[in-house]
Amino acid sequence: MAPRVVVVSLASDFGCQVQMTNIEDDLLDVLGLIDLSYWQLASSGHMPAEYDVAIVEGAVTTEEHVELLKRIRSVADVVMVIGACAVTGGIPAMAGEGDLEQRFAYVYGTDGANVARGRISPGPVKRIIGVDYEVPGCPIDTAEFLRVLSHALQGLANRLPQEPLCAICKTKENVCLFDKGQICLGMFTRTGCGARCVSLGRPCTGCRGLAADANVESAMKILAEKGYDIDEVTERLAVFNTREEVFSR
Amino acid sequence: MFFRVMDTSRLPDLVRGLSRDHEVIGPVAKEERFVFAAIDDPADLRLDYDTTLLPPKKLFFPPEDQMMRFRVADNEVLDDEVFAAPRVLLGLHPCDINALLLMDNIFLKDYVDPYYKARRDTTLVVGISCVPTEDCFCNSLGTDEAHWGFDIFLTDLGDRYFVSVRSVKGAELLDDFVETREITDADTAAFQRVTRERKDKFTQDVDTSQLPLLLDAKFDSPVWDELGERCLSCGACSMVCPTCYCFNVRDDLAPDQKTGTRTRLWDSCQFSEFAAVAHGQNFRESRASRVKYRYYHKQWGYLSKFERVLCVGCGRCSTACAADITPREVIAALAKGGVE
Ligand code: SF4
Ligand code: SF4
Ligand code: SF4
Ligand code: SF4
Repeated sequence: MAPRVVVVSLASDFGCQVQMTNIEDDLLDVLGLIDLSYWQLASSGHMPAEYDVAIVEGAVTTEEHVELLKRIRSVADVVMVIGACAVTGGIPAMAGEGDLEQRFAYVYGTDGANVARGRISPGPVKRIIGVDYEVPGCPIDTAEFLRVLSHALQGLANRLPQEPLCAICKTKENVCLFDKGQICLGMFTRTGCGARCVSLGRPCTGCRGLAADANVESAMKILAEKGYDIDEVTERLAVFNTREEVFSR
Repeated sequence: MFFRVMDTSRLPDLVRGLSRDHEVIGPVAKEERFVFAAIDDPADLRLDYDTTLLPPKKLFFPPEDQMMRFRVADNEVLDDEVFAAPRVLLGLHPCDINALLLMDNIFLKDYVDPYYKARRDTTLVVGISCVPTEDCFCNSLGTDEAHWGFDIFLTDLGDRYFVSVRSVKGAELLDDFVETREITDADTAAFQRVTRERKDKFTQDVDTSQLPLLLDAKFDSPVWDELGERCLSCGACSMVCPTCYCFNVRDDLAPDQKTGTRTRLWDSCQFSEFAAVAHGQNFRESRASRVKYRYYHKQWGYLSKFERVLCVGCGRCSTACAADITPREVIAALAKGGVE
């Protein structure tokens, strides 16, 4: 029996689900392998009570999300999170830096209380439940999504690369952006995107999260020695990573 | 080997001639740096380049290379042939020519690698003399001159090239496509002068004497810990190195899960997963041990098997390392007992 799959969204812009539709050429092959019981972006009905694989997009921002995730974890054999929001907390998690209520008051004034009820400090899915497979990035890369999905379907281990981006960037023969005085987050960030941004002449923004191998402490020290503004580097890292994660390294 | 002289103005003739039956690949500008790329117009060729971002190894052992496809149902190999068209690699510096010879020891000796061999067999090498950059230290390793490993070598004498011809194929190509003349005593004298002047331009002097002994004695040196604290584990040093040959192999299933591809990708001993094995064991868990073994492999392990160190002093790793970890500094620090 084909595994029953549901695709669920928490707080996000649905960009990664849209990316899933961009698989186009291979979508039919993929759909042939699974029983897509529910896809929030495309389904009008309700999520079924039983399923085998849950693909979750988006950051956790409310009590409702927490409940939903706990339910998903108790039903699904496999939980796969996709996109920066779900994997690292992404952009939504920026709102969780500092005092959340103060930020709400700043944005929504005194009506804040009624805007997002049951709000919690936004964060990644792994903060609430255990996660089996991750597809990082903003947005996800379709080839990597297919690879991870294939691993999930075959029951293979989640094998995200551990090393920072610079190696693959070198293989693309990019002139290092630090040689041009720009700040690039490649030395902090998990590889796997093929150094797409740098190859287009733009610095890495760290959307895939911190690399397990990254030597954050040394990188900060080196950049400070070279005259870069460490506060700015930290600010940039905090766009896709929570500060708590950056400082814990 | 025999020698001829060719006017520098004849270079486009040579390039155009070679292009007839070969793909010609040579150094071209990329922003303020250089890369090896296909030459469509001889005017793009930049034989005055300093060092390319990636070494020529990328042309024999690509960073990402599909080895075969396979069928899942019966494990059948579907296609594993290597497509290698005839090529001329035009404009290799002595260090890069020597680096390919070191790679040959790995890919063509005990285990012949069909992917590397096919490309090596169909590629002719034309060398070019160079001017040392501030990161070059090939002079300390005896790789500043190439005596083997090329078909033709051009030494720039200003208005003319002193042409060393090493292979029959090289002689034929030269004969077919470009006008050359016999060397005179004046040419030889100019060649010797240029060679001497180049030697004087090296700014680095890395003391590599008794290096294996030094490494043996310094196995537990705190230098490794200091370097380990600084290293970013980014692997840039291995990627840009003309003699690093480690690779990873990855299988990917097609979306329908019926067939798959096997790909090999450049790897680096600086990555934490490099020495990780099943059951979660990792022989090089700490960064310090990884930096250390990069040096032990290059300056000791390879040497004990092939009687040469696995480094040609091209300086690419020094340029690429954001943490400024350079062979020169590492060797000096070991000798002295501390990082500056
Ligand atoms: S441009 Fe960025 S990713 Fe590329 S080598 Fe430099 S720091 Fe690393
Ligand atoms: S170790 Fe560094 S200097 Fe030596 S060959 Fe490799 S890149 Fe060049
Ligand atoms: S072990 Fe390290 S230093 Fe040696 S060839 Fe492999 S990547 Fe290069
Ligand atoms: S390039 Fe430098 S920082 Fe990166 S792995 Fe090599 S030695 Fe470490």
